[in-house]
Amino acid sequence: MPTEGDLADDGGGHAVKGKLLTGNAAAASAARLARVDYIPAYPITPQTEIIETIADWVREGTMDAKFVQLESEHSMMTAAGTASLAGARVFTATSSQGLLYAMEMLYNVSGWRAPMVLVNVSRALAAPIVLEPDHNDVLAARDSGFIQLHSETCQEVADMVLLAYRVAEDSRVMLPAIVNLDGFYLSFTRERVVLPDQKGVDSFLPPYQPPHPLRASQPVAKGTAVMEGFVYSYFKYNMHAAAVRAKKVFSEAARDYKELFGRDYGPVEGYRLDDAEYVIVMSNSFTTLGRQAVNRMRERGVPAGLLKLRMVRPFPTEEVVALLKGRKAAAVFDQNLSPGSGGILFPEVAASMYHVRDRPQTILPVVGGLGGKQLTSDEMTSIFEEMIAVNSGSKPLAPMFLMRSEEMAKVKRAVALAEGGS
Amino acid sequence: MMLRVRFHGRGGQGAKTASRILGDAAFNDGYYSQDFPIYGAERRGAPVAAFTRFSDGEITERGFIFSPDIVGVMDDSLIDDPLANPFAGLRKGGCAVVNTTKRSDALLADRKDATIIAVDLTGMALKMLGKAVLSSGIAAAVARVAGIGESQFLAAVAEELREVGLSEEMVRKNVELAMAVYGQLAPLELRTEELPTKLELVPLAVVVSGEGMEDVTRTGNSAVRHTGNWRTFKPVIDYEKCTDCMICYAYCPESAMSVREDGRVAIDYDNCKGCMICLTECPLRAISQTMEGGTR
Repeated sequence: MPTEGDLADDGGGHAVKGKLLTGNAAAASAARLARVDYIPAYPITPQTEIIETIADWVREGTMDAKFVQLESEHSMMTAAGTASLAGARVFTATSSQGLLYAMEMLYNVSGWRAPMVLVNVSRALAAPIVLEPDHNDVLAARDSGFIQLHSETCQEVADMVLLAYRVAEDSRVMLPAIVNLDGFYLSFTRERVVLPDQKGVDSFLPPYQPPHPLRASQPVAKGTAVMEGFVYSYFKYNMHAAAVRAKKVFSEAARDYKELFGRDYGPVEGYRLDDAEYVIVMSNSFTTLGRQAVNRMRERGVPAGLLKLRMVRPFPTEEVVALLKGRKAAAVFDQNLSPGSGGILFPEVAASMYHVRDRPQTILPVVGGLGGKQLTSDEMTSIFEEMIAVNSGSKPLAPMFLMRSEEMAKVKRAVALAEGGS
Repeated sequence: MMLRVRFHGRGGQGAKTASRILGDAAFNDGYYSQDFPIYGAERRGAPVAAFTRFSDGEITERGFIFSPDIVGVMDDSLIDDPLANPFAGLRKGGCAVVNTTKRSDALLADRKDATIIAVDLTGMALKMLGKAVLSSGIAAAVARVAGIGESQFLAAVAEELREVGLSEEMVRKNVELAMAVYGQLAPLELRTEELPTKLELVPLAVVVSGEGMEDVTRTGNSAVRHTGNWRTFKPVIDYEKCTDCMICYAYCPESAMSVREDGRVAIDYDNCKGCMICLTECPLRAISQTMEGGTR
């Protein structure tokens, strides 16, 4: 657990040592740096460490905030949204089933235009039960009106939390935000993180000034029953417009962030894209594996590249188009599954490209990493091999659902054992 | 040939059941048929609409009827309610059946192109059923005007009212009421024409030109939303008997009881919803009820 002394300053972009932090510690540290006022909480693996860390800090007096454990994630989100309407800067965190239990309130909190920040530590949804990550949990909240920022590294976790507050609280946006990080692969992984200094964060993120905070003496109604479809449509269209504006606001905030702390973030990030002909599109922590696969393909002389989706809502259509047009082929790696359809992000990327004249001839849907299923480097490079084979016409286009033979053998052994065989 | 019927009533008056009776009746009479209600928070007294379509060919539309051939208005206080707007879109050559004690030429004077029929359904219902439930009466009026056969219609009344759990005695009384209404009217040869409309779509950029965060900061604005027109019955204080004990004041769930300058208790008819809790609670029976002026 970091202490004040570890909050290294990179000031004018000088090299700093940083500190080994887990993704969960990075999230908690960013919440403290953001000077959040209120943390309604409910434990769930693999997120619990975040709220335990914050609870400790509040108890020992190194974090000046009110920490309350509620009786469920549903109550937790209700408390978070209402406190945000009262003018508090609110932080909370959950995972998986917890996010789904809070789902009803996600739509309310965004409809109230309450700009709180929720960290989701991805964990695959039951059933069957597993604790490791995929993105069906956070993508279930895709249409809720929350801004969504997805992290590849522990560093990004800390930075995205701070950027999320800046974007959410901007008067042009006023929507809540989710920062996503993968359970285990980031939540419990320690790696070097440079936390911004408090003074810098204070100038980047001034205190939240809500336009009409809830006050006992000044009644204000928010999110009232409208009872008519056209009034409902008016408010929903306005939420859409605010979410669309959030991309520009994010870019402005990211510019300030870079000036203060030296790290540069866009809604998407390209890796070795300059002359790339074959591009894999992905998000979250397994993107690191995608980069490695790009490097291996490059060593073989294949012009491979990667497009990382950092912002998932609003969907960065223009950036995706700019970075994918003119490529020979693309693959969308979805670490999620909509049974009966396939990956959830594939259709979004494909729809973005449909009207682009020089779009990639092939866009290959790939599903992998469900329930945190590990991916070998050969498995990752096979995606590029498939892309090339389909694009050259030597194989028909068919969605890939990654599973290795030795994994299948283990499945068969486990099933046999469960059925009483040996 | 398709006929589109729109019923307007208040929650509790039976608009939905009327649309179902008519739907069944038309179905029994060999038509393709479809019925559908729309209501908000299922609140007694709130404006409700229900729709029945029937046709000798397959019905290829659904949902709200914007251009009815026939409207059935079950409560004439709805005529001036801008949310209910019962005559909106009524076709040229169409027909409006209105439950009222007013003369038909006092209603909808600006629509010479439509037939207006005034029937005192509430009076008949109070006399024949003992309460102001109007589903069988309005359905009978519309079915007759639309030319639905009598036996098919009466079978539909019995079928639907049994389905909603009415006793055999009440079913019988309703069938009698329906026969009486049906017998009073004659079928109309309806040749209707849709009123011209002009569609103007608002571009998204206009809808979202502000920031669209309409926080309501004006206080005390619920007094502006008068709910008095939800009443079917109206409580009336007999000041000879009333001792201003204030029990009604304490029980009124809508704070619609107030104290006048002279110290007497008074009813705020702008906001009283006619729940009659005051009548039930008054220890001196100093509160009585009358039918709302609108329908009686």
